[in-house]
Amino acid sequence: MLKIKDLKVSVEGKEILRGINLDIKPGEIHAIMGPNGSGKSTLSHVLAGKDEYEVDSGSIEFCGEDLLDMEIDERAIAGIFLAFQYPVEIPGVSNANFLKSMVNSVRKARGEEEMNAMEMLKYLRAKTKLVELDQALLKRSLNEGFSGGEKKRNEMLQMAVLEPKLGILDETDSGLDIDALRIVANAVNQLRTKDRSFLIVTHYQRLLDYIVPDYVHVLYNGQIVKTGDKNLALELEKRGYDWIKEEVDGVSA
Amino acid sequence: MATAIDNKSAEIVAKYRILFDLKEQQLNGQKSHPLQAIRQQAIERLESMGFPARKDEDYKYTYVTKIAKQSFSEGTGSIIGENVVKAASFGDMDAFQLVFVNGVLNQELSNFDNQMDGLTISDLKTAYDNADTQALVENALTNELGLNAFVALNTALSHGGTFIHVSKGTAVDKPIHLTNITVSGGSAIMTSPQILVVAEESSEVSVIETYSAINDGTYFTNALSRIMVGKNAHVHHYKLQNESLAAFQINNTIAIQERDSTYSSYVLDLGGKTVRNNLSSHLQSSGTNTNLYGVYLAKGDQHIDNQSFIDHAHPHCESNELYKGIIDDKGRGVFNGKVNVRQDAQKTNAFQQNSSLVLSNTAQMDSKPQLEIFADDVKCSHGATIGQMDETSIYYLRTRGMNLEQARSMLQFAFVAEVLENFQLESVKEKALAMMKEKLG
Ligand SMILES: Nc1ncnc2c1ncn2[C@@H]1O[C@H](COP(=O)(O)OP(=O)(O)O)[C@@H](O)[C@H]1O
Ligand SMILES: [Mg+2]
Repeated sequence: MLKIKDLKVSVEGKEILRGINLDIKPGEIHAIMGPNGSGKSTLSHVLAGKDEYEVDSGSIEFCGEDLLDMEIDERAIAGIFLAFQYPVEIPGVSNANFLKSMVNSVRKARGEEEMNAMEMLKYLRAKTKLVELDQALLKRSLNEGFSGGEKKRNEMLQMAVLEPKLGILDETDSGLDIDALRIVANAVNQLRTKDRSFLIVTHYQRLLDYIVPDYVHVLYNGQIVKTGDKNLALELEKRGYDWIKEEVDGVSA
Repeated sequence: MATAIDNKSAEIVAKYRILFDLKEQQLNGQKSHPLQAIRQQAIERLESMGFPARKDEDYKYTYVTKIAKQSFSEGTGSIIGENVVKAASFGDMDAFQLVFVNGVLNQELSNFDNQMDGLTISDLKTAYDNADTQALVENALTNELGLNAFVALNTALSHGGTFIHVSKGTAVDKPIHLTNITVSGGSAIMTSPQILVVAEESSEVSVIETYSAINDGTYFTNALSRIMVGKNAHVHHYKLQNESLAAFQINNTIAIQERDSTYSSYVLDLGGKTVRNNLSSHLQSSGTNTNLYGVYLAKGDQHIDNQSFIDHAHPHCESNELYKGIIDDKGRGVFNGKVNVRQDAQKTNAFQQNSSLVLSNTAQMDSKPQLEIFADDVKCSHGATIGQMDETSIYYLRTRGMNLEQARSMLQFAFVAEVLENFQLESVKEKALAMMKEKLG
């Protein structure tokens, strides 16, 4: 589904991703862990198509298409969804209206039939229940004045309604209390199908108690320096990142 | 006191004196009507004060005399279809409707006969000839508050006019819609719409002015509204301006507020090549509320200038002003909000905010809040922001599948919709939103 080959990315002349290789197959859950500043968000945004990142070399293939050739919105329509680490507040845009126009414009672009008001209402109600979000938040401006947990659950709601092929969660768990964490994990587990894949970017192992990944990768200094299964996450939890740093820095020194 | 005006200005005034004389000749028997004496006084006032000079601080960004300098002929009625009126109306909303085509009232297209108790709608002459309202009309038309060259010009040239009188304690249940439609494209005409609203004690009324055009021709609308808000009365005053993109509009609105009254102004400026609004509220006593809401969208080479003035002369008054707009292409916007809090105006609450989005390198916005406070026990705040569209917000929306155009227009729409939320009449709000959506594309 997603094939990243030797991806090098820089921002303002500074190299941040220094040769990433990653292969995600349909239905797989990959976790990317790593210390602050290792390039996790950069990778997430490059997949979503943010302009300010310069792809210096390498390739990304998504469902057989050249992802780097696609506009931001084309990627969303093709099935990429990024849950932001810091969701953006947009005053004046009602959450409900936003969800509705988002669903229908994506359905239209995907060649699916647009939903009428009744169908939409039902659809949104079910999805809102899935992420246990207070219905009242739909009437408010998008993310404006939402608590941290509400913002993250709102991201999960958007993911649920857009039904992507690949869901990327950039530190969706950071700062969440245990209840909110369970809700996020539950949403992912319910959305999990044999065709839908997830890339879970996280700083902490805790989320992986609830979402069991097929692979765990450690990103350090712009490179994937270690890959393992869920036990690698447990080891990182116990030992921290220092031993990885030492291992890598020791080798390269 | 007649001060000397410069030659250029005198030349321009002379053109309007000719228009004035022409009209007077057509009056025949009515030359001796006292209203004609008031018009005569007004043209003389214009002759003594002249049009604003280029160096005049209040006209720094909009040299309105350039508009007056051009040649316009007097507007005459024209035949238009009901569909045009319908397009300028508010869906199913029931209203007393007065339709003016090229500045002339069209009785057939209008519908304001079935008037309710306590409401009078007539022309100014009828109002003057009625002994009960004569003094009101005379006082309003000769009042110097808010006077400037274009107020005098309107008063001198306006025939007909609209008088809206709401008696003590009357809440008018239907809005009054003054529908101004100009058939443009022929020789450039000038219209002088004039409104006098008198809302007596504890009354309430909504007055809507709309301005639209057939064709994209050049013409000049020099409008004047005088709103007298009686004790404890509330006047809601809407203006939806969608003139031709080659048209000029100068709009003077003068509100005079008595004790405990509320004046609420809701303005949407979408059309016009050059638009200048002078909106002033003169607080005559304590306990008043003044709400000024405005939205402006300037694209192409449109120029929209909003000047407002609130004169807090008495204690315990509140004013609340929110203007937002979007300037694109080579458009230009000006906001100059003066709030005067005089020494006696203790316990004044005055809030003012002007925010603009500037979308291109060639677009320009000048914002000048002017808060002058001479009282010490007041709560006043003002702010002006001029910014661009937030790239992160655009990116966020696009990651949810909206294309660039959709994302941009959604954000622009959201930016100004905050102001429209304050529009009290649902049908007017919806229409304003739809007009805006169309313009934002
Ligand atoms: N827009 C940017 N401009 C400049 N530097 C950036 C930008 N985005 C990220 N970086 C830098 O790239 C590195 C990786 O950042 P990031 O991808 O946010 O890491 P992580 O998400 O793993 O904490 C950091 O050193 C950060 O300062
Ligand atoms: Mg990050």
